[in-house]
Amino acid sequence: MTTSVVPPVPKRGFGYWLKKHFFSTWLNSVITVLFGALLIWMCVKLSNWAIFDAIWTVDNKEHCGHGAGACWAVIQDRGRLILFGLYPYEEQWRSTLACLIVILTIGLSCLPSLWSIKKLPTLWVIGFGAFVLLMRGGFAGLPLVTSEQWGGLSLTIFIFSAVFVLGMPLAVVFALARRSSLPVIAKGTGLFIDLVRSLPLLTILFAAAVVVPLLVPDWLEGNKLGRVVVAFAVFFAVYQAEIIRAGLQSTSQGQNEAAAALGMPYWSLVVDILLPQAFRNTLPSTINQAVITFKETSIVTIIGFFEVMASGNAAIGGGEWTEQFVEVYVFLALVYFVFVFGLSRYGAWLENRMRVGHA
Amino acid sequence: MRETAISVKSVDKYYGAYHALKGINLEVPTGQTLVICGPSGSGKSTLIRTMNGLESIASGQLEVLGLDISDDTRNLDAVRKRVGMVFQNFNLFPHMTILENCTLPQIRSVGRDRAAATVEAMDQLKKMHVDIHAEKYPDQLSGGQKQRVALARALCLKPEVMLFDEPTSALDPEMISEVLDVMQELAKENMTIVCVTHEMGFAQAVADSVLLMADGEIVEQGTPDQMFNNPQSAITRQFMDVVKK
Repeated sequence: MTTSVVPPVPKRGFGYWLKKHFFSTWLNSVITVLFGALLIWMCVKLSNWAIFDAIWTVDNKEHCGHGAGACWAVIQDRGRLILFGLYPYEEQWRSTLACLIVILTIGLSCLPSLWSIKKLPTLWVIGFGAFVLLMRGGFAGLPLVTSEQWGGLSLTIFIFSAVFVLGMPLAVVFALARRSSLPVIAKGTGLFIDLVRSLPLLTILFAAAVVVPLLVPDWLEGNKLGRVVVAFAVFFAVYQAEIIRAGLQSTSQGQNEAAAALGMPYWSLVVDILLPQAFRNTLPSTINQAVITFKETSIVTIIGFFEVMASGNAAIGGGEWTEQFVEVYVFLALVYFVFVFGLSRYGAWLENRMRVGHA
Repeated sequence: MRETAISVKSVDKYYGAYHALKGINLEVPTGQTLVICGPSGSGKSTLIRTMNGLESIASGQLEVLGLDISDDTRNLDAVRKRVGMVFQNFNLFPHMTILENCTLPQIRSVGRDRAAATVEAMDQLKKMHVDIHAEKYPDQLSGGQKQRVALARALCLKPEVMLFDEPTSALDPEMISEVLDVMQELAKENMTIVCVTHEMGFAQAVADSVLLMADGEIVEQGTPDQMFNNPQSAITRQFMDVVKK
């Protein structure tokens, strides 16, 4: 007979916890009180500015700036410009719908049950196809809107997801090529990766937008947005390739030997055994790279695309709302925060889920 | 039926300048169990790994199930589908469940459909007494259980030859017998087995032949009785004295 031993339950309440972490010594108590007061003061100031003293509607616009809080009227007035850029006003429902379709596609591809070699590409072909058709129009009574007029949030999300979706398979190819047993391929890929990495993103995008049309025949030129997305995807891929290569190197040689001894073909070793392990081993770096890429999309402004950041600048540029730049940037920051924070939480969830199989 | 499962003729192998296998000659008759032993660095693991082409050879002739794999890698795929191997460190796929570990190779190597592969996998897992763990991941199992899963995974492909490369060396002492037991059952079913091991109890119980290697050469080969009780070579005598303790 064994008697079960119950571990002692510590009877320590909130007071104990507070004392242990914040008031353990006189010095700590003083620091706690000082910083506590500062924190409360800041919170009060911020909530007064952002909520209680804020001006919310354009009708009260004349009160803006005269000692009042935030002037959110600018968002009411210029919100559409920020979210849709130069997209024609009457057609902005199309941009909204297209944006929602891409967000839905991203959401669906986050579900591990859809991760198969057939389902994911199908999903993205449909998602991007619907996005481009809706945004571009020119059929069934929808007026044509060329990609030069696309802008705002839907452009940001389109560029990000297109870069990610094109760049990821490319990164896998680069990573495998760099590990190839053929020296020409391995060295060549290594040189290419190092070359692209040593160029600034700005230069690459500028070259894609401006220099490529001078060099290639017309039929190969494509449109500017397409060229920029492809160039951005290559830039993303060379970084991601190194992350994946690190993941591949962290799998043990025993995995290769087991697959070989079982007569499994090379492609199966790569697709079924090595890549899944490489991706889970490098998930934090991959999420990191995705976050950086999302934020870097704002750089396409330079070559004349009005993504959400540039549209925000345009919103305060008109003269009427020049003083409300803080409100506009806070709004933009919130837009970025929603996406980047969502991405990070998804990464954490994925990591937790994978840990089950990887104790 | 072919009488010789594996035939090794004057095989040499180098790691750089190091001469790992020196003119090895060996025949493994079909249905028999050969145990290879020897001090570490003697080349026994290298030898067994040449038998399914995990190590290439520099010269000599190597035939497995009638297929020449000396320098013709085209036969390698065919040989690997018919020769199973169990490793010291199990080498299970950590991101897949036990069941998936057993079904995937069947699907990828011999093109079995998933339903048939699952039936076969559960059957083999049951024989190895690990079927209750089918939905678990390798890291949730003990070493002995992992090695039995690795054996089940190999047996799902219905191999004609099984290679064991120190299958119990990474196990805690209390788990060694559970692995040796299932290996003994396999030997009694007349599977052709080549096993690198120091478990002389296993050799005594089921081996048809025991081979001692030292310094890349075969020192002596004979029945277990000969090798344990009447070794001809001084090296064998010395080695047996050590492992018998």
